[in-house]
Amino acid sequence: MPLLNEEVAEQVRQELVDLAGPVRLVMFTQEFECEFCAETRKLVEEVAQLSDQLTAEVYDFVVDQEQAEELGVDKIPAIAVVGSQDYGVRFYGIPSGYEFTSLLHAIRMVGAGEPGLSEGGMEALAELTEPVHIQVFVTPTCPYCPGAVVMGHQMAVASPMVRADMVEATEFPHLAMRYRVMGVPRTVINGTAYIEGAAPESMVLDKLQQALVGAGEPS
Amino acid sequence: MLDFKLTQQQSEDQPGVDVGQEDRVYDLIIIGGGPAGLTAAIYAGRAALKAVVLAGSLPGGQVANTELVENFPGFPKGIGGPDLAQRVHQQAKKFVADVVQEGVREVDFAAYPRHVRTSSGTYRGRTVIIATGTFPRRLGIRGESEFFGRGVSTCATCDGFFYKDRRVVVVGGGDSAVEEGLFLTKFARQVVVIHRRDELRASPILQERAFANPKMRFVWDTVAEEILGDQTVNGVRVRNVKTGEISTIETDGVFVYIGLIPATKVFKGQVDLDANGYVITDQRQRTNVPGVFAAGDVQNPDFRQAVVAAGSGAVAAMAASRSLPEIRLAMEEKARERAPAT
Repeated sequence: MPLLNEEVAEQVRQELVDLAGPVRLVMFTQEFECEFCAETRKLVEEVAQLSDQLTAEVYDFVVDQEQAEELGVDKIPAIAVVGSQDYGVRFYGIPSGYEFTSLLHAIRMVGAGEPGLSEGGMEALAELTEPVHIQVFVTPTCPYCPGAVVMGHQMAVASPMVRADMVEATEFPHLAMRYRVMGVPRTVINGTAYIEGAAPESMVLDKLQQALVGAGEPS
Repeated sequence: MLDFKLTQQQSEDQPGVDVGQEDRVYDLIIIGGGPAGLTAAIYAGRAALKAVVLAGSLPGGQVANTELVENFPGFPKGIGGPDLAQRVHQQAKKFVADVVQEGVREVDFAAYPRHVRTSSGTYRGRTVIIATGTFPRRLGIRGESEFFGRGVSTCATCDGFFYKDRRVVVVGGGDSAVEEGLFLTKFARQVVVIHRRDELRASPILQERAFANPKMRFVWDTVAEEILGDQTVNGVRVRNVKTGEISTIETDGVFVYIGLIPATKVFKGQVDLDANGYVITDQRQRTNVPGVFAAGDVQNPDFRQAVVAAGSGAVAAMAASRSLPEIRLAMEEKARERAPAT
């Protein structure tokens, strides 16, 4: 029983028809599959079939530890969306519900290597001298969440100093608790700065700066 | 005779009325991506108008926020809010290619073509449909902003999960408060609804379900005064409006559903708004500015329903389409008037 029905599959095919370049969906799971690992793997494999430019690679988190480390993958299920280069675009947890569009967005951005940010945003990111880790906590039924996820991924594509993760809060409750996620989307920057809701580019950039000068809130 | 209030000043990307650049001007700019804006797009596209939808940040609009929609015609078993939102979105994209997730920062309806500026630039259109909808009213009490996202929320479908087996308070007495309160009983062990009157505004069927739900409790004649907490919310101080008594309700979360405010800040001074900020329209969805229409919740303070929004969106698009020949004509006349005599 496929996850994507005919209609949805056809739509996805259409969305990806002009995919600019080859994209690898590198997925990490494990032998004793975690709750959503099997479904995530299925999703990745089905999506990969909908474009000649897409390939699915499935690794075992434990056995293929080297690959996991190379891609900085530290929990599963994980999907690294990799194009001609690795921009640091990750999905932790199954990108289902609203987050499916975030996955398609990521594939397109990575394929073209185009972040789609404003000129000012590109300039601000070009000045980064320290690494930035953006984690966007979501739940699958949160309609505002893809906006925040896409923003994070845009910045990851735009700058080699930035990597961004979608983190599905229901699958990683300990992580959600650690960052006191009680409302989504919640964006956590370098573990110290927080944004509630889907914020516009300028606000996210401001928070980035704050996080880097260590002015983040203790919460 | 339509008066287009043509602006005298030259803007840098549009020297007066640039008839020469007709192809870069849209027939219709739709501001808003909820049921109103997207239905307008369907009608506009089918009328072969060159249209763009500036859908903002929430594709499908507020209907995406609710778990189940049971009163939209065509769905006898009801339909999930996100599902309905997605379908309308898809249908619109079938007829209008340009549906972009951009929000509007500024408009100029004195200029012709009309200017609508977003983060990516300025769109120009012969006609405009304002369909920006509404956004949740805040309580405006201490603790609300501080704890937003840490126990205070306006989106039960987003955040319900985090209150599994915990206590929540819902402030409000209308359909949303009751409906989302019922939704929250799927997660929370207790849902306390605080309402400032002694009866709900919500529709009878929802009230029935709510009163029958063992997890729901009602506190009448009561308003929230302050949201309390440490790292996260742990209570809300309330006041009984009849007795004046102050007390504290212990809770882990507060969901605010006390009404909606029209998203019209950017249209102040551009179109006539009523005392509460809603756009004033006639039965053809026309505003006081020729060629500028409004549809959906943004112009409907009384009947804010998805089907009503969709209906007004269709009307607005048809009215816009019919107004085009007249608008083009008047525009050409104005351009001739302003052209230097040779």
